[in-house]
Amino acid sequence: MDCADQNPMPDAANFRRPPEVVMRLARMGSFHQTRLSFMRSLLRRLKNEDWKFKRNLWAINEQGFGRAVYTVYGPERAYSLVAFSHDLPDEMRSDRVIATAWDTTFSLYDGIPSAADLDRLEQNVPKQEAGRISDSELSLSRANRSVRLWQHVVDRLAAGRQPDVDQLEAVGYLVRTTAVYGSGKFGAADRLSIAGRPEVSAPFQAELLSVWLTRAFSLDLVEHIARARGGDQAVPIEPEMRRRIGVGNSTGLGMAPFLINHPALLNNWMMAREEALARVRALPQAEPAAIAEFKRHFERACFNLSQWHSEHPIQVEKLAVLRADLELMASYIAGESLSEDHPWDRFYRWAEESLSLEGQEQLVSLLIEPYGELVDELTQCMDADEHLAFFIDGAMPVARLYEIIETRCQWALQVDYEQLENRARFWYTSAEKLEPRVGERFHEPGAEYELPLAIGYDIKQMHAVLTIWEGGQTTAEFLLAHPEHRHTARRVQNLAVRPYAEIQDNLIAADMLPIDILRCKLSFFGATKFDPRSDRWVRICMYQDAPFPHELLAAAP
Amino acid sequence: MSYHLTLAETETSLRKVARACGLDWGLAEEAGKAARWLAAFNLPGPETMLAHLQELAGKDYRAFMPQSSAQPWHASGGLLCPIITGAALADRSAQMLDGKVFTLGPTAYPLLLAATVGQAARCHQTVFTTAWAGVRVSCFENGLSIEGNRDDLLLTRVDAVSCQQDDLSSPQQLPSTMAYAIDEEIVKHIEEFAFKIYAPATEASRAGAGAGLTDND
Repeated sequence: MDCADQNPMPDAANFRRPPEVVMRLARMGSFHQTRLSFMRSLLRRLKNEDWKFKRNLWAINEQGFGRAVYTVYGPERAYSLVAFSHDLPDEMRSDRVIATAWDTTFSLYDGIPSAADLDRLEQNVPKQEAGRISDSELSLSRANRSVRLWQHVVDRLAAGRQPDVDQLEAVGYLVRTTAVYGSGKFGAADRLSIAGRPEVSAPFQAELLSVWLTRAFSLDLVEHIARARGGDQAVPIEPEMRRRIGVGNSTGLGMAPFLINHPALLNNWMMAREEALARVRALPQAEPAAIAEFKRHFERACFNLSQWHSEHPIQVEKLAVLRADLELMASYIAGESLSEDHPWDRFYRWAEESLSLEGQEQLVSLLIEPYGELVDELTQCMDADEHLAFFIDGAMPVARLYEIIETRCQWALQVDYEQLENRARFWYTSAEKLEPRVGERFHEPGAEYELPLAIGYDIKQMHAVLTIWEGGQTTAEFLLAHPEHRHTARRVQNLAVRPYAEIQDNLIAADMLPIDILRCKLSFFGATKFDPRSDRWVRICMYQDAPFPHELLAAAP
Repeated sequence: MSYHLTLAETETSLRKVARACGLDWGLAEEAGKAARWLAAFNLPGPETMLAHLQELAGKDYRAFMPQSSAQPWHASGGLLCPIITGAALADRSAQMLDGKVFTLGPTAYPLLLAATVGQAARCHQTVFTTAWAGVRVSCFENGLSIEGNRDDLLLTRVDAVSCQQDDLSSPQQLPSTMAYAIDEEIVKHIEEFAFKIYAPATEASRAGAGAGLTDND
């Protein structure tokens, strides 16, 4: 679905931020989750459609090892998280993606698994990449216990006491996933096979459903072990504290190329987010109820910031700046400005002048919070058929191809690639880790294995060749003579119809920060507490403060 | 032993194999899509694509490119590559929509050509039919049909191919699949080739990549 087709507020277009403002890494690396984020749209759907929940199997021994099945029942279909809990020796504990054993492993089954399915999955799911699942499964994932928190929580609960709040808040999760595979990976069902189902057609719904159920499993598991240990004196975690526990995740470079390799999807995510902001900015007045709702979310953002920790110098500085920004915002809110006309637009424009990118993007998330009725429908246009972006219009005159670059790709043309720092990096897939990595072009071997992710550089190269072509010749003729520019021509033509499809920055520059790409993607998932551990990988928290299945959904019979 | 390759795996692996065999990225992308499209209809796209790419490996693929000035198209090296030629025809789909019939001389693995052109049929929501020997393969938006002698489908080279828009209103669709059954040995072969586009580890890459620690907290 195209957002433009269902636009109830044509005026919003005047308030939309242009791609050259939005599609910059520094800004994308400052994104926060919004109410359009995929975790939140998933839970909204489950609640609105009155899904049911049941833990259909709990075969876990006193040590905490065994299998369990958590099922959610929708109007038409059911989905089951199949969970396995294992005895993992300490020396095998690693959250690197290349690990070979984990505390817990999972698969999201399409329906309700039979005993034979569970046996089949037990033969394969614990092996993760080395196993093989089938088109009856929608995801494959694993998680390790938090060494910092797990034992503490077990000890406390077994002794009849609640966990220490500070320790709990410092970590925020009991288990941390290290990979969640979906869509046709390792034998799982192809995305095409579920694309027609409304409940999972939006991006990453199956994967994020599995993570939500994984969180419930992790809490049930820790309480189960504590009960086995402490017997009658053991207690469960108090519900309020329980909700503060999410699921952790470590994400590295493996995820970074996704946004670059899915330009139609990136465009639609950005369009939806920008349209949501534009609709709110276009509102002539703010009703008192909306202002109150905004303030409630503002207070929550302040609290969340107080619980957001990082030791990485970049993030430490960003958090300090965000803290100052929130204070400035508090002063702004306390003033009279929200009662003037177009108050949200005024607020946003003030923020552009007064706040850092962190603060501006925090405000973007907050502004759309009170307006679910106005913006939530936009989640329906956040998926994409990448095939449509694959097509090359061979009849397009070369002059038009050139013109698109001139008008839409100045960000690429303005970079001087003769300067070595502007092409210092290259993206490649590591034979050892089977994952994308970033290399130093002038200090490491392997540049001949470069992946086609140097988008700006490639566009500038094609532009240089196009200058000597006659404008009336066709793209088809050009590509027959220059097949090396085919992947770039595809992207350039795509930009003419999908203006937010490209990150408008140099992805091979010496100072490029891969964590900016990761944070952008993870914010669309709905992640919080971004905690970079280097410029290449980041730790996050998912579903913190979200309701649990048994809280959100009625019990299935 | 039989193995089930998902469509996503088919596309990704064959794209990598095409790159490993020397095709530029944009053409390698076409190869992945074509192999996936055929596998979706239970046709041996992965195996055929692998066979063709192996023959192409190490050669200057420009010798397999069409000289498009006059019909029928020919390659300077004698045999047209179905991926490069299929992409060139897809790029000329506007001409096919205007009724132009393209004719080709000697062509390798014409089934791959039909599938590559077929990607454009999907985008235009039309039908493009590729014909050779005694068989015609029609690709439309969400389907594919075969008429004539199916024994000719897998010919490794033919002397003449034609390609044009068709007006089949309800072509007979083949059953589609989401997981393609394939010999496990061939999968291993595909993976071996795909692996060639991965950079061997170096000390520097080990030191600099991702989490530098065993992180356990």
